[in-house]
Amino acid sequence: MDPILLGAIVAITTVLVLFSGVSVANGLLIIAAGFLLVFDGLRSLELLPEIFFGKLNNFALLSIPMFIIMGASIASTRAGADLYEALDRWLTRVPGGLVISNLGACALFAAMSGSSPATCAAIGKMGIPEMRKRGYPDGVAAGSIAAGGTLGILIPPSVTMIVYGIATETSIGRLFLAGVVPGALLVGLFMVWSLYSTWREGSTSTLVRAGAYTLRQKLEIMPRVLPFLLIILGVLVAMYGGYATPSETAAVGALLCLAVAIVIYRLWNLQALWVVLRDSTRESVMILFIIAAAGVFSYMLSSLFITQSIAEWIGTLDVNRWVLMFCINIFLLIAGFFLPPVAVILMAAPILLPIVISAGFDPYWFAVVLTINMEIGLISPPVGLNLYVINGIAPDIKLKTILLGSLPYVFCMVLAIVILCLFPGMATGLPELVLGPVV
Amino acid sequence: MTSPSNPAAGRSMFVKVIYALSLVCGWIAAAMIVASVLITCQMIFVRAVLNESTIWQTEAVVYLMITATLLGLPYVQRLRGHVSVDLLPMMLPHQARRVLITVTLLASAAVIVVMLFYGIEQWHMAWERGWRSDTVWGVRLWIPYLALPVGFGVYLLQLLVDLGGAATDADPTLEPGGHE
Repeated sequence: MDPILLGAIVAITTVLVLFSGVSVANGLLIIAAGFLLVFDGLRSLELLPEIFFGKLNNFALLSIPMFIIMGASIASTRAGADLYEALDRWLTRVPGGLVISNLGACALFAAMSGSSPATCAAIGKMGIPEMRKRGYPDGVAAGSIAAGGTLGILIPPSVTMIVYGIATETSIGRLFLAGVVPGALLVGLFMVWSLYSTWREGSTSTLVRAGAYTLRQKLEIMPRVLPFLLIILGVLVAMYGGYATPSETAAVGALLCLAVAIVIYRLWNLQALWVVLRDSTRESVMILFIIAAAGVFSYMLSSLFITQSIAEWIGTLDVNRWVLMFCINIFLLIAGFFLPPVAVILMAAPILLPIVISAGFDPYWFAVVLTINMEIGLISPPVGLNLYVINGIAPDIKLKTILLGSLPYVFCMVLAIVILCLFPGMATGLPELVLGPVV
Repeated sequence: MTSPSNPAAGRSMFVKVIYALSLVCGWIAAAMIVASVLITCQMIFVRAVLNESTIWQTEAVVYLMITATLLGLPYVQRLRGHVSVDLLPMMLPHQARRVLITVTLLASAAVIVVMLFYGIEQWHMAWERGWRSDTVWGVRLWIPYLALPVGFGVYLLQLLVDLGGAATDADPTLEPGGHE
């Protein structure tokens, strides 16, 4: 059978199987085993456990459970509340300071915890009632937190970027740096929209708050916030200083975050500690299982010459590179609506990256664009995990209001992609400045 | 119907044993992840502070991570933690949803049987031929490969228990969004 036609059949089957509700990893194994059995015979299945094992036999993958432990330790404490309160105290006199401190807290907490739903829950629990009390529109209060929560997969350290790095064999250090400026750009766009829509819908008095904190009050909260921030900073400095690999620095970070959670936040009862370990194990196993299953899926694609044929076929198409990038973005956007970012990256990145590179795009820039597409999926129906988290913590705000409130932030993300297309240096500049050009 | 907080409650001894086995696998997986954190920190200490070379640590943490993943599979299944797209099942009426869940669990169990069968073969070859990793440490490969039959084996048992729960409508945690 023509490999392109076979590729189309695999694509349709993949969509059907994954939509059946089977777990993503099992779905990938079922499709891989099924097609290998039909087209390559029973003997071809012999290699599957070895490929599964081999895909996990990679020291770089260790950074995934390590960063997850860091995030779970932080998310299990009052760190989110403390971070929110600290920014609130420091930014109280800034016009619109509340929404700025909410988005700032989201960005910092999302970067520290690496989890979108945990960020929405931790910051939203305090931020949403406070914003509503101060007269911010419900849509802005809910939408800004839902969108702010998505920043965790872009701002370093990000598990999504690690998975991209492993799937495409690109530098994780460079990927982390590539996410910094676009992350700041998104925070800026979110802030501008929040302030504008508040100003448009309400009175400007909402944006100016009464009351002030003394310097003592501002300083006394810092010891509860600084340790985690310093650990994250330390991990990044150790990585870029060349002292250790991402996996090694993440392991030290995980140990320190657990220690801070135990010492400063008194997480010393065994049950609370088990919750951190249980959640870390659950998320790590879930991601690593998808990685190994996606490895088996990729083996099937390449064994049946599908990957190579699609890359060759797209190479023969005489399309403008920006039309190609537009189509890829639409595909990623749709995939992100239904699938978790890790699954999209593992299935799509190895196929898309050669095409993207041959069209003259930078792989690190593409990682950022891909990640922003995945962020959009987190606040868009039908799956839109963050929307449901917000609905859970603020049940009196209608889901429709949360949806409509999040929509402008989706446009902010699309705008960020357009800006990145016009100025790719925003993603590639910092990695080149710190680590030099890609050799 | 059983309580959503404990899907094994009121069910047969076999179901309870498999749930307990999955839980033990989860504990071991978590302990292995913690062990890899500690070993990696020890490796950095040995290399950076004691200025000595490290021999076994990198390989040990990778094998620990692989084993934690494989042993963690049944536990994560028990927690309903394997991510899926449950949009279509949620839109279906109860009976149709139950059939779909049964079919997907059956297909999952079938592919895990394949992984288990060839995983046992892989482990047996490593054992019989005395395979060792080509590193200074030279680990006997049957030890890490043992995770394949054990992990997939317990995972298969957990899937079969869930299959029974779906077929008899005895386990509400199998519903979309259901978790322990």
